[in-house]
Amino acid sequence: MTVLERIMHIEDDPSIQEVARVALEVVGGFTVRSCDSGADGVAAADSFAPQLVLLDVMMPGMDGPQTLIELRKLPVMQGVPVVFMTAKAQTQEVTAYRELGAAGVIIKPFDPMTLSEQIRAIWEQQHA
Amino acid sequence: MPDTPQLQAQLAAIEARFRQRLDDELDTLDELSAQLQDAPAALRSLRDRLHKLAGSAGTFGYGELGSMARQLEQQAQTQLDADSTDAAVLTELSSAGAQLRPLLQRNEQREAQPQQLEAGTSDEDRHRRIGLLIEEDDLASQMAQTLDSFGYQVIRLASPEALQTSAPLDALIIDTSPPGSHLLDHPVLQQAANPLPPLLIISSLDTFASRLQAVRAGAVGFFTKPVDLPLLERRLERSFNNQQGGPFRVLIVDDDTELAARYQLVLSNAGIRVDAVSNPHLLLEKMHNFIPEVVLMDLSMPEYSGPELAQVIRLDDDWLRVPIVYLSAETNAERQMSALLKAGDDFITKPISDSTLLTTVYARAQRARMVSDALARDSLTGLLKHADIKEQLEVEVERSKRCQAPVSVAMIDIDHFKKVNDTYGHACGDNVIRALSNMLRQRLRKVDRLGRYGGEEFVAVLPGCSSSDACQLLESIREAFNALQFSYGGQQFHCSFSAGISACENDEWAEEELLERADRALYQAKQSGRNRLCRDTGAAD
Repeated sequence: MTVLERIMHIEDDPSIQEVARVALEVVGGFTVRSCDSGADGVAAADSFAPQLVLLDVMMPGMDGPQTLIELRKLPVMQGVPVVFMTAKAQTQEVTAYRELGAAGVIIKPFDPMTLSEQIRAIWEQQHA
Repeated sequence: MPDTPQLQAQLAAIEARFRQRLDDELDTLDELSAQLQDAPAALRSLRDRLHKLAGSAGTFGYGELGSMARQLEQQAQTQLDADSTDAAVLTELSSAGAQLRPLLQRNEQREAQPQQLEAGTSDEDRHRRIGLLIEEDDLASQMAQTLDSFGYQVIRLASPEALQTSAPLDALIIDTSPPGSHLLDHPVLQQAANPLPPLLIISSLDTFASRLQAVRAGAVGFFTKPVDLPLLERRLERSFNNQQGGPFRVLIVDDDTELAARYQLVLSNAGIRVDAVSNPHLLLEKMHNFIPEVVLMDLSMPEYSGPELAQVIRLDDDWLRVPIVYLSAETNAERQMSALLKAGDDFITKPISDSTLLTTVYARAQRARMVSDALARDSLTGLLKHADIKEQLEVEVERSKRCQAPVSVAMIDIDHFKKVNDTYGHACGDNVIRALSNMLRQRLRKVDRLGRYGGEEFVAVLPGCSSSDACQLLESIREAFNALQFSYGGQQFHCSFSAGISACENDEWAEEELLERADRALYQAKQSGRNRLCRDTGAAD
């Protein structure tokens, strides 16, 4: 199985962006590219070539699902798992994201100490 | 995992920045709220901001604030979905900032609390008001005295009518034993509009009918005369602290991470801590790290069956108390039974509604915690038993290593206890033991762990305390205990204790060594004249 190294995190909330970066870099040992918006993520995808994308659902401008559709159009993004991060309380939303092709859903609030572990579990499942 | 001081410092710095932004965020919410009546677009922005807050606050430890933000977000969403606006909801939303701010302050007060070294229980406990509706004067005054010594404020009520004028009560104790007493049928107690505090009932009859009557009156405790007061106090404490020990912990074992995420969402929204494991090889490791109170187990996974994994869990005595609930599409009763015979306690059949999941898990977790708590506690003092206090010590030592914080252990032994028993009898000796355990419980902090280690020997585990902090705390308790006057058969006497203290300031030490060192220090204290504390110097032998 390929080792997961590069994660792109698309999130407009600076606090969440910061804490996820530390959680993924320091705890998980990943290389993280943080993007402030969906458009930012789409623009950076080619050069960064993420192996996994962690995507906030509710963002101003392009929201998570729209961003996912745009990312999927890029050749570099073919087969790259996208994990949604959401504070939505309704369970049917989780199913809806899954139908959009999300590899997993991480619920906010999350625990910074176990975020990497959750991401790794999703990665392993994708490659099982 | 690199849980280093640097990581902690980085996280703390991010938290501090979040805290700063939070002030601005609440100000923005105020501004948006003020525009609600005139500008419909403000509602959408308010919803979005509340949504962000609901998602982020919990990550930084502001769980209550996050939950409130979510409630407000949902109200805003309902407004947006509806065609017309509801004035009452708008008014509620327009005070969003005002509703969230107190939670922020409360969080900060709580954060500051574990740092306090002052002896004593929290304000919450100290001011708990217990109403006594007890006719028999002796029993009432004895109970008032005991509850007072446990730190409760006792209010004696002359009649049920007094309930209507008394200050709000945290619990009510009613004696139903006087002949002809129909207290439970009294209109004041029957009024549904006026919900009663947790009710404890004392009866002279230990019959099925009297217990049933108590249950129907909504009692959380039932005691027959003569009333075992420490037991009653335990029950009171339990009724206050249903959530003591933090949120329930539930482990989901399912190879389908999507389903696991759904369950996780439902349960964590109800304030339950959830962890999931999709790879069964990691199951035992996860059990040890997470210490779940309920395991939700998928019945059929590709390489392993649920009952197989449940049996693996059950091979370990440590996990016998943990209920295992299967999640399955299996509706065949025979096959369900066969799975339950192998291991496991219950079934939830898929598709599972959110409320079924939540109710089953909640009921199981609550009961598991109560059973675990009752089994772990010593019947005389209500403190943790030998094995359980050792387990708590292990947990605290691990935590202190992780957080790079000290932890202290005090081993406490009542001086010349055999003489008390020989002179005044065992019943009197038991009273002395209870008195010391009560005093320790009242004077130690909420975060401290206390156990009865042997006959007259106690162990206190004090997280975050250096040995000098621990000495200071124990010294004040030693003085207070020594000043207590016991009386038996008209004779008055005093007791004292000696204590040995060790601290894990060097992360090489294991819990066994800490206990040994505290024990050695206790021996020194006894040798040098008793009624004193000795501190382990930490020097190698």
